Amino acid sequence: MAARWSSENVVVEFRDAQATAMSVDCLGSHAVLSGRRFLYMVNLEAPSEPQRKIGRQSKWDVGTVQWNRHRSESHIFAASSNQRVDLYSWRNGNGDVHTSLQGHTRVISDLDWSWFEPEVLVTSSVDTYIYIWDTRDARKPTVALSAVAGASQVKWNRKNQYLLASSHDGDVRIWDKRKSNTAVEYMAAHLSKIHGLDWHPDNEFILATSSQDNSVRFWDYRQPRKYLNILSCQVPVWKARYTPFPNGLVTVMVPQLRRENSLLLWSTLDLNSPVHAFVGHDDVVLEFQWRPQKEGSKDYQLVTWSRDQTLRIWRVDPQLQKLCSSDGVEDLLESLAIDSPKSLTYQEPEGHHRVGPAADHLQDLDSVLGSGLPQTLQQEFSLVNLQIRNVNVEMDAVNCSCVVSAHFGSHQVHLVVKFPAQYPNNAAPTFQFVPPTTIPSAMKTKIQKILTDTSLQKVKRNQNCLEPCVRQLVSCLESDMMQEDGPASGAFILSNPVTPALQAFPRVTNTYGSYQDANIPFPRTSGARFCGTGCLVYFTRPITMHRSAPPTEPTPRSLSALSAYHSGVLTPMKMRSDSQNTLRLYSSSPTRADKDTVSISSFYYKERKPPMSASRRWSVQTLHDWPKSRRFKTKREGTDYSNRPIKLAGKVIIQDISCLLPVHKVLGENYVLNMNDIQDTCQKNAAAALAVGRRDVAKVWALASAATCQDLSPDSDPDTETPWARHPFGRHLLETLLDHYSHISDVQTLAMLCSVFRAQAPPPDGYPPYGLQPSRSTIVPPQRSRYPSFTSSSVTSGSCSSTSDSVTMTTWNMGRESDHNNPWGESSPDDYRYGNQGYPDPRDREREQHDMNKRLLDPTNMLQFDDFKKCYGEILYRWGLREKRADVLKFASCAPEPHKGIEFGVYCCHCRSQARGTQCAVCKHLTFQCAICHVAVRGSSNFCLSCGHGGHTSHMMDWFRRQDECPAGCGCHCLLQSTF
Amino acid sequence: QVSVINTVDTSHEDMIHDAQMDYYGTRLATCSSDRTVKIFDVRNGGQILVADLRGHEGPVWQVAWAHPMFGNILASCSYDRKVIVWKEENGSWDKMYEYTGHESSVNSVCWGPYDFGLILACGSSDGAISLLTFTGDQQWDVKKINNAHTIGCNAVSWGPAVVPGSLIDQPTGQKPNYVKRFVSGGCDNLVKLWKEEDGQWKEDQKLEAHSDWVRDVGWAPSIGLPTSTIASCSQDGRVFIWTCDDPAGNTWTAKLLHKFNDVVWHVSWSITGNILAVSGGDNKVNTSSSPGAEPSTEASPSSACVFCR
Repeated sequence: MAARWSSENVVVEFRDAQATAMSVDCLGSHAVLSGRRFLYMVNLEAPSEPQRKIGRQSKWDVGTVQWNRHRSESHIFAASSNQRVDLYSWRNGNGDVHTSLQGHTRVISDLDWSWFEPEVLVTSSVDTYIYIWDTRDARKPTVALSAVAGASQVKWNRKNQYLLASSHDGDVRIWDKRKSNTAVEYMAAHLSKIHGLDWHPDNEFILATSSQDNSVRFWDYRQPRKYLNILSCQVPVWKARYTPFPNGLVTVMVPQLRRENSLLLWSTLDLNSPVHAFVGHDDVVLEFQWRPQKEGSKDYQLVTWSRDQTLRIWRVDPQLQKLCSSDGVEDLLESLAIDSPKSLTYQEPEGHHRVGPAADHLQDLDSVLGSGLPQTLQQEFSLVNLQIRNVNVEMDAVNCSCVVSAHFGSHQVHLVVKFPAQYPNNAAPTFQFVPPTTIPSAMKTKIQKILTDTSLQKVKRNQNCLEPCVRQLVSCLESDMMQEDGPASGAFILSNPVTPALQAFPRVTNTYGSYQDANIPFPRTSGARFCGTGCLVYFTRPITMHRSAPPTEPTPRSLSALSAYHSGVLTPMKMRSDSQNTLRLYSSSPTRADKDTVSISSFYYKERKPPMSASRRWSVQTLHDWPKSRRFKTKREGTDYSNRPIKLAGKVIIQDISCLLPVHKVLGENYVLNMNDIQDTCQKNAAAALAVGRRDVAKVWALASAATCQDLSPDSDPDTETPWARHPFGRHLLETLLDHYSHISDVQTLAMLCSVFRAQAPPPDGYPPYGLQPSRSTIVPPQRSRYPSFTSSSVTSGSCSSTSDSVTMTTWNMGRESDHNNPWGESSPDDYRYGNQGYPDPRDREREQHDMNKRLLDPTNMLQFDDFKKCYGEILYRWGLREKRADVLKFASCAPEPHKGIEFGVYCCHCRSQARGTQCAVCKHLTFQCAICHVAVRGSSNFCLSCGHGGHTSHMMDWFRRQDECPAGCGCHCLLQSTF
Repeated sequence: QVSVINTVDTSHEDMIHDAQMDYYGTRLATCSSDRTVKIFDVRNGGQILVADLRGHEGPVWQVAWAHPMFGNILASCSYDRKVIVWKEENGSWDKMYEYTGHESSVNSVCWGPYDFGLILACGSSDGAISLLTFTGDQQWDVKKINNAHTIGCNAVSWGPAVVPGSLIDQPTGQKPNYVKRFVSGGCDNLVKLWKEEDGQWKEDQKLEAHSDWVRDVGWAPSIGLPTSTIASCSQDGRVFIWTCDDPAGNTWTAKLLHKFNDVVWHVSWSITGNILAVSGGDNKVNTSSSPGAEPSTEASPSSACVFCR
C-alpha cells in the first residue's frame, strides 16, 4: 500500500514528439527524447523552453537511447535504430551523428555505456549476439558474446568493469568480457520474459530483475539457484531500478486493463507494500531515469517520460528517501494519519507547461487512494491458494470482505469475513456465520474463537491471514465430522467404491507453490509411449480443453508459469497497437476465468465454461468438487456448468502398432526349429513367412534351405575341397542377409537365421566353441565385427586365395586392414608367434582353421548372434511363447547363468565336514545314507527340511504313503513340517 | 494396419501425466494431477480397475513397471518429492518402499535392465539423481548423484545391458560383465551419460546440442547390434538422435531428427528400436520428413508423431 502520493514537480508536454525513448545525461542538464522524426533536446534546468531538435531520417523508431556516463564524453549519446547504433554528439545547441556502429543482423534490444571506460558501449540484439564496442573503432565490435538466445536487456556491472548481465527470455546470464566464449553464470531467474534488469549501485554481486511473471526478484549471482528476495506484484513488471539513495527501488508495471500508470517506490527492506507512488501520468510510463544530484542538494529528481507525451520531473526529498531505509516503515505508519491530507494537496509546480485540471488529478488521486488499501487485499486474494475440497471462497475486494462456504457431510457453513481498513497491519478481520449455516451454535463459538486466534497471530506480524483461517476452519470441521458424522462422510466413499475417501490421506497444503517451482518442468499433458511388444499407449487432453495461451506462444517450460498465465501476456509494446476494444475482449475471454484454480488444468480452458461476467468478484473453487453441490448452482450465476462436471482427464488409448514392427507374433508362434531336419524346418518357416505376407523372409528361408542342403555339407578333410562357406553364396551371402535385417531391426529373422545355421553346423569341438580351450580365448583379438558394415573380418589375405575374385574390392581391402589382428592370417608375424606357441603341429592348425572355414556363420561374430537370440527370446517371452523362447536360446553359445537359488549342502555322514554333492571332498566317502535302506544315496533323493532325514526318493515315497512320521524315528512329522 | 484396440476411461479427476503398460501388455498404469495412480487390467479390450493407489500428496508425474521377474512392481514419482514403489502381493497393491530423499519434485523414474536386479533411477528438480537398489529383505541401497544437472534433472533412461566394447570375445560360460549405464537430461540443456565404475557413479559423457531444457531422453533398446542410440527432446522443439559406434562409448554423434514448433516432452522407442514416438505440447503435427527418418504415422489427433527408420 502506498501511503503517500506525490504529484510531479514539473510537467512538460511535447505534443508531437512521439518519442519512444528518453535519456538524461550525466551532468543532469539535458534529456534527450527520441521520436521517429526528431530527437528533442530538453534543457532540464528550463524544460519549458522551446526545445532543440535533431532531425533524423529513418523508418525505424529509436529503440534505446543513452547518454555517455562520463563527464569527459558527456556530449555523446547513443541511439539504437533497428540493427544500427548511431552515436550523436551534442555541442553548442547542435547535434549530429558522428559514428554509426553496424554489426547486428537483427533489431537491437538494448545498449549500455560502460561505467568505467568512456569509449565502451555494449549492445544486445535479437540476433543472439552481444557486442562490446570501442567507439574509437566503429568498424567492428571488440568483443562478441554469443548467447544462443536473443537478449532483451544488457547492463554493465557498476562496480566491476569486466562484468555485465544480459537477460534472455526468463534467464539471466552474467558475462565477463575477458571470457567471451561462455557466460560466467547462468540463472533461470523467471518463468516468463524478463523486461528489466538492474545492477545494485553499490554491491557488485546483486541485481534485480523484473518480469512478465508478476515479480521482481533480487539475486546474488554467486547463488544463481535461489533468489535473495522477491517482490510479488499482481501484474507483470516492466522495469525495476534501484534508486541512487540506499534501499530504494522504483517499479513500473506493464499496464493492465485497469490503468496503473503510477511509478511505485519500494523499500528493498520491506517488500510488502510500496512506500510511495508517483501519480500523474495518464498513459504508460515508457522510461524513467534519475537525474544526477546537484552539488549541495539533498533532493533527488526522477525524470519520467510517458506515452501521454509528457515529461515529468519528480522531487524525492530526504524524508521520502528515509522511508526506504530501515526505520521507514514505522515512520510511514506514524505519518499515515497525519500526512494523508497533506499529500493530497496539489503543489503548483513552477514553470510547468501544462497543468491538467486540478479536479482530474484529485480524482486520480482519489482512485488511487481508494484502491490503495484493497491493493494488498486484492493481492492477497489473487495469490491465496484455496484449492480445498468442498470449500468455496468468494472474494470481494471492493467491499473488503469475502464469503467462505463449505459443506461437510450434512453440514453447511457460511462464513462472512470482513477486513478492516488497516488490515493486515495489526487489524484482524471479523468472522460471522450467516444462514444457511447448519452447525450447532456451540461449535460456531468454538470455531469463531479459533479463527480469531489464528488471524490475530498473523496480523500482529502484519501478515495476511485469510488462507490460514480457511484452512483452520476446514480442519476444525473435518475433525468434527469424523467424530460425530461418520455416515455422512460415508457418502463420499460411496462415490468411488473402489477407493477410500481422499480425506483419509494427508492433504497438501500447497498444491503448487508457484514461485518456488521455477525449476520444475511444466507437466506433460499428453504423451505417447510404446509398451509391451506391439502397443502404443497414448493419452491426451480432453477434446474440450484448449490451451488458454494463443497457439503461437510456446508451451511454458516450467510449472510456475501457471501463475504467470493468470494475468495475461501483454507488454506495453504490444498494447500500443492494440485498440481498447480488443483489450477488453481479451481480458474477458474464458482464458482468464478460472484464474484461481491452481492446477495444471488452469493452463487450459474448458469449452463449456461460459465467460465470466466482468465483475470484480474473485472466486475460488475446486473444479472437480464432488459431489457437485446444489449451492453452486445458485451461487454461480445460475449456469448449469457447475453441476455438469468437466472432464479434466482425457482417455488413454491403446493402439496396436505391431504392423509397424519388423517382428510378428504369428511368426513367433509358427516358426519351428527342428535340429534333426533342417531342410524341413526351413520349408515350414518359409511357408509361415508367406502366410503373414513376408515374401522377403520366405525367400530367405528358401535360400537357407538351399544353403543347408546335405550336398553342400562340408567334408571333414581340409584337403578335399573348399567348403561351401567359402563360396560367395556361402558365408558372404548370409552376412549380407544378416546385414540387411539388422538395418531394418528385424531381430526375429536375425535370430532364426542364426539359430538355423548354428544348428546346421554345430561347433566341431562340441559345446561351447572356445570354452574348452582357455589358451585360445586369450589370443582371440577384438574383431571388427560390427553390423551394419561390409567388413567380413574372416576374409583374410591368407585364406582367401581361392575366393578372392568373388569378393568385392572394398571387402578385400578391409579384410587386409584387419589382417594383423587375425590369428588365422598367415602374413602376420604375430600369428606366427602365437601359432607356433599354440599349435606345434601345423596340421592341427590347419584342421582348426578348416573347422572355422566350413561354418556358414562367421565364428568371430558368435557373441553378436547370441545377442540376437537373447533379444528375440525376450520378445518371445513378452508374447508368452516360453517354449519357443527356450527353443531359440538352446542355440546360444553362451551357457545360461548358473543356478543362483537356494542350494542344499550336506554334512558328510562319516567325517561331518561340509560337502556339496554326493561325495565328500575330505574323506572321499559318499556323503549320505538313505534313512530306510542305509545305503549311500547317489541318485534322486528327498529330505525333510525340518529334521534333515531322508533318502532315496522311491523309498521315501513308499514310506510316506503309509506313514507321516520320519522313518529315522526322530519323531518329526515330516509331512506336516515340510511344506515342499 | 494400425488400429485402436482399447480406449480406457481412467476417470481421473485431473489431468493425466503418464500412462504405461506392463511387460506383457496386460495392465495399464496411469498417474494424474489428482495425486493417484491407477492400474487397469486391459486384457482383451476390457478395462477393469485393479487398484487405485493413493499415497502421493501432489501430482504424480511418471510411473514405471519393473521387470516381472521381480513380481508385479510399479514405481511412481511425484511433485511431493517422493518416489513410491508399489508391489502387488496376493492380489492387493501396497507400498513396498517410499523414498523421500529428494528436496524437490521428482520428475522421472526408470527401472534398470533386469540383469542388474531391481534398480531404479530417479531424477529430481533438486538437480540430483538417485539410484535405489533393492538388496533383499526390505532393504534398499541408495546412491545419490548430487548436482547431476544444474537447476534440475527432468528425465532418466537406462541403457540396455550390454558388454562394454561389445562383442570382444570373452570367456564363455561366465556371466557377462555388464556395465550399468543410463542417460539423463536436465535444465542445463545437457544430456549426460552416467556409468558405474567400482560401485561409484561417474559422469561418462556430456552431450550438448539443445538450446533449452531437455525434457526427455530415451535410450533405444538393443537388438544385439553394437551401435548405441539415444533420443533426446527439449523445450526448444528439437529432437536429436545420438548414436555411438565406438565400442568404448566415447564418440557420440548427434543428428537432428526434427524441429517442432513447440516443446517436445516425450520420446519413446519401440521394442526393436527402429520406431520412435515423439509427443509434445504442440497441437500441430508437422509431417515434413527429415533426412533418414520421416514421421510415418500420426498416432494421435493432437500431439504425437511416430518416426520410423
